[in-house]
Amino acid sequence: MIRRDGLRRDPRPAQALRLRQRRQRAELRVAPGRVTGFLGPNGAGKSTTLRALLGLIRPTGGTATFDGRRYEELEHPSRQVGAVLEDASFHPGRTARNHLRVLAVTGEHPMGRVDDVLAAVGLADAADRRVKGYSMGMRQRLAIAAALLGDPEVLILDEPTNGLDPPGISWMRRLLREQAANGRAVLVSSHLLAEVAQSVDDVVIIAGGEMRGRGTLAEVLGGDEGAVTEVRAQDPERLASALEQHGHRVERDGASLLVLGTSPEEVGVIALEAQVALTGLAPRTRSLESAFFALTGGES
Amino acid sequence: MSALLRAELLKLRTTRTFITLVSVTLVLSLIVVGLTAILSDDFTKESVREMFTFDFSSLFILLLGVTGMAGEWRHRTITSSVLAAPDRLKLLTAKVISYAVAGTVLSLIVTVALMALGTLILSLRDLTTLDLADLADVLWRNLLVAALLGAFGVCIGGIVRNQIVAIVGILIFAFALEPALLNLALEVGKFGPTTGAPSGIIGVNPVDNGELLSPAVALLVMIGWVGLGFAVTAWMLKRRDLV
Repeated sequence: MIRRDGLRRDPRPAQALRLRQRRQRAELRVAPGRVTGFLGPNGAGKSTTLRALLGLIRPTGGTATFDGRRYEELEHPSRQVGAVLEDASFHPGRTARNHLRVLAVTGEHPMGRVDDVLAAVGLADAADRRVKGYSMGMRQRLAIAAALLGDPEVLILDEPTNGLDPPGISWMRRLLREQAANGRAVLVSSHLLAEVAQSVDDVVIIAGGEMRGRGTLAEVLGGDEGAVTEVRAQDPERLASALEQHGHRVERDGASLLVLGTSPEEVGVIALEAQVALTGLAPRTRSLESAFFALTGGES
Repeated sequence: MSALLRAELLKLRTTRTFITLVSVTLVLSLIVVGLTAILSDDFTKESVREMFTFDFSSLFILLLGVTGMAGEWRHRTITSSVLAAPDRLKLLTAKVISYAVAGTVLSLIVTVALMALGTLILSLRDLTTLDLADLADVLWRNLLVAALLGAFGVCIGGIVRNQIVAIVGILIFAFALEPALLNLALEVGKFGPTTGAPSGIIGVNPVDNGELLSPAVALLVMIGWVGLGFAVTAWMLKRRDLV
C-alpha cells in the first residue's frame, strides 16, 4: 500500500512543482497482479508524488510511504520497489550490461539477474554496446531492466510511453500486463488516457495535488451515476415518461435516450410494460476521457 | 557499505576515463622522469627524491574525483544512484572512499613505474640513487597525497555540480591561484589544498621563499580540507531535490 499523508510541495520560483497542502490522507492501493493507472493532467502532481514516494524530493509537508515505511527506510529498496522515471538517464560511456552490473552490486542481487533482465526486455544482443548509441526505446527498455533487477514486488513507471514509437508503446502495454500477470503490483502514471485505458485494471485520478477518484476501471467509467443504458424506441417520449414514472433519470442524446442508473434489462421490462417497441438497447460506458474530465473539473 | 564501495569502484572501472587517465598519467610521468634522469647530471639524494615526486597521478585523480561526482549530475545518473542507495550520506561516503582507493592505486602504479625507470637510468649512468627506505618514504607520501586529493575532488564535484565549471575552476585554482598565493603569501598559501598542504606532505618545497608545513601538520590540514568538503557536500546532497 502506498500512502501520501498531507503531502505538500510548495512552489519555488525555479520549479513548477505544485503539490499543495491537503488535509486528506490519501492511499494509493496498488494490488498485486493488477495494473493501476495514476492519472492526472500535466502539473497535477503525478511525478512529484512518485518522486516524493521514492525519496528523491523532500515534501515541504506530509509523508509518503510504502506500507507505512518511507522508501529510505526500506531494508532492500530495489527488492521491494522498482522504478522507471520519466527522465531515466545513464552514463553514455557505459554499456547496458555494466550499468546493470553496478546496480546489481549496489542492491546485492545475483549477477545472473543481469542477463535475465536484459533478455526479458529484449536487450540481450545490445547488452555490450555503450548506451550513447541507444535509441529512446532501447533506453526505456534498459530503465525497465534496471527496475526489474531486484525482482521487486511493486513496479512504478512514470509516463513510460513518452517518446516511444507505436511498436514501443505496444511492447510497453504487453510488458505491463506481463508484469502484473507475474504477480507484481504495477503503478503507471500517465496523461495519455487512451493509452492507459487499454492496459490498466484500476485507476487513481489526481488533479491539483488532490485525489479526485479511484477504483476499478469499470467503476471509474461508470461515474457517480453508475450504469447508463442507451435505448432507442419507436415512441421515445412515451418510453421516457414510463421510465421517469419508475423513478429513473432520462437524458436525450439525439434520437436515443440515456437512462441513468439502470441496466438494459430493467429498461426492457419497463418498455414492455409501457407497450413501446424498442429499436435499440445497449449499456453505455463513459470514455476514460469523459470520466477524467468529470472528476478533474475539466482541468488540463 | 561494502556493496556500495564495490559498486563505486565498478563504476570507475566500467568507463574508459579511468584507463585513459592511468595511461596518460603513466606516460607523462615516465617522460618527465626519464628526460630528467637522462639530461641532468647534478643529482643529490634530495634532487632524486624530488624527481620521484613528479607523479602526475595527484593532479589526475583530483580531476577524476571532480569528474566522477559532477558527472553524476551531468549525466543525471544521480537519480538511479540514489534510488539504488537511498541513504545519500552512505552513497557519498562510498564515493569518497572509492576515489581515495583509486588515487592510491593510480599513484602506486605510476610511482613504482617512474621509480623503476629513474633508478635504472641513474644506475646506468653511475649517478646517485635512493635506497629502498628512501624510495618507500617517497612512495607512501605520494600515495597519501593521491588518496586525499581523490577524495577532495569528489567533494568539489559535489559542491560545483557543473562538470565543466568544476574542472576549469579547480585547474585555475591549482595552477594559478594557489601557486600565486604560495609566492605572495606563503603563510597562507602553505595551507592550500591542491599545492601547499600536499607539498608539505611530500616534503618538497615548490617555492624558495620560506618553510612549508611539516608533513604531519600538512596531513592534518589536508584531512581538514577533505572533512570540510565532505561536510558541505553531504549537507548539500541531503537537501537537494532530484527532479
